[in-house]
Amino acid sequence: MSALLSVQGLTVRAGDKTLVSDLSFSIGAGERMGLIGESGSGKSMTAMAVTGLLPANISVSGSIVLDGQEVVGADEKHLNRLRGVATAVVFQEPLTALDPLMKIGKQIAEPVRRRLARDGQRPSRAAIDREVLDLLDKVALPQSERIANAYPHEVSGGQRQRVAIAMALACRPRLLIADEPTTALDVTTQAEILRLLDGLVRETGMALLFISHDLPVVAQVVERVMVLRDGVALEEGAVVDVFASPSHDYTRTLVDAARMFDEALGGTGS
Amino acid sequence: MSAQDLSIDRPARKHSLALSIGLALVGLNVAVALLTLFWTPYDPLNASGGRLEAPSLLHWVGTDRLGRDYLTQIMIGARTALIVGTGAVAIGATIGVTLGILAAFATRLLDDVMAATLDILIAFPTLLLAMLVVAASDSASLWSAILALGLAISAIVARLTRILAKRVLRQDYIVASRTSGTSWPGVVLRHVLPNIWPTLSVNFALQFGLAVIAEASLSYLGLGAPPPNASWGRLLQEAQGTVYTAPVGAIAPGIALVALVIGMNLLADGLRDVGDPTRGRSR
Repeated sequence: MSALLSVQGLTVRAGDKTLVSDLSFSIGAGERMGLIGESGSGKSMTAMAVTGLLPANISVSGSIVLDGQEVVGADEKHLNRLRGVATAVVFQEPLTALDPLMKIGKQIAEPVRRRLARDGQRPSRAAIDREVLDLLDKVALPQSERIANAYPHEVSGGQRQRVAIAMALACRPRLLIADEPTTALDVTTQAEILRLLDGLVRETGMALLFISHDLPVVAQVVERVMVLRDGVALEEGAVVDVFASPSHDYTRTLVDAARMFDEALGGTGS
Repeated sequence: MSAQDLSIDRPARKHSLALSIGLALVGLNVAVALLTLFWTPYDPLNASGGRLEAPSLLHWVGTDRLGRDYLTQIMIGARTALIVGTGAVAIGATIGVTLGILAAFATRLLDDVMAATLDILIAFPTLLLAMLVVAASDSASLWSAILALGLAISAIVARLTRILAKRVLRQDYIVASRTSGTSWPGVVLRHVLPNIWPTLSVNFALQFGLAVIAEASLSYLGLGAPPPNASWGRLLQEAQGTVYTAPVGAIAPGIALVALVIGMNLLADGLRDVGDPTRGRSR
């Protein structure tokens, strides 16, 4: 079976600075993979490259085949058809990822409408509204009608991230890219969002590319990880293997740091 | 959970005093302008009383030196002012917003060229530009004045739109919307325009007031609407010679002009507060 996403020799450059160099990995349908690295390691650049949304002044070489189609060098029209269908993205900062002047229900309705139209339907307003409320229920937002009628600044940070996830789900993508989706949230909310993402990915059978600098967080939701540093892949493997016996010094320091942090907090470590 | 929780607590839209006064002044102007389409106290073109009569019950604001009723002319002047303001802002908004959005999307070089061109255009005095356009057209007419003012406004609107649109385009929600497959035109219509509208609409209201003043200035200089179209600027100019003997002729159109412009500015001020749902919250 061919992979849903196959990245071969991806190199991303901004001017003469190399942000990602010669990166290769693939994600099969329904598979869950994590990209780990500290800030500036090229994690988000990789994600943006996959969606073909890098700014024009950044050059991309190599090959990214998403759902059987080449992304690198593809034109806008082509990419637009691919976005939403094959991938959707959940971002780090839930407040800025939502349009401040548009009611939440309306923001979710747009991808829903586009998806239904793509399937050849001419959806009625009532059908779209029903689906929007369904989605809000699915991401476990209470009082979905009230939330749908609210502006983003009128709900809490965790709720906003749930809304962002609902927006991504509205597309019914085959690959969900989550770019540090819990970093801006407090620890309790973090755990809830992770549990939600985990459940949704299992339930819908989509593949997940989870990007984070936080090892314990990554370990909770993915099966396979890749460790990035300065745009270079250091190692890749099953979560258990990489965390139990890291083969690279850098990974070891990351794991040790996470463990020390856990111990300092009085936790038992994982 | 009680039923009350189903509604979001939004503070009742506070209609500020500024907005109320602004609405009243502009509303009065619109009402008068509409009224003149059907009825005026006297025939605006023919004498209806003695020359330079003082205000009386028959002629509330008196008559001009040809014996024509002042109130009638001021009322028609309100119509002229509204046509000029609306026309100029409509032209300025159409051209300005289009250019501004295009500039925000343009390549670096093209954007720089557009920005520099706009700065030069804005540095050029509006009245001078208007006089040039009016002089270039065959005869002074209301429409050449509107076109000239519209062009001047479009430069200001374009520069503002460009900056605002660029700021919105950098936001995460644009990327988020793009990742779900929204095309660029869709992004502009759904996200960019609604997000820059609160600021733009305030600017439109301010430009409206400035356009009304500019038209009065042009008419005062004889470059606006030619007689017999009544315009406040021309009323002022005609009253200039008799300002000591019949001051009402100068004061009355002046008050009308100031009232409309102040009304427009207050309206702009009030709009700023109600246009944005994120405003008015505790800050």
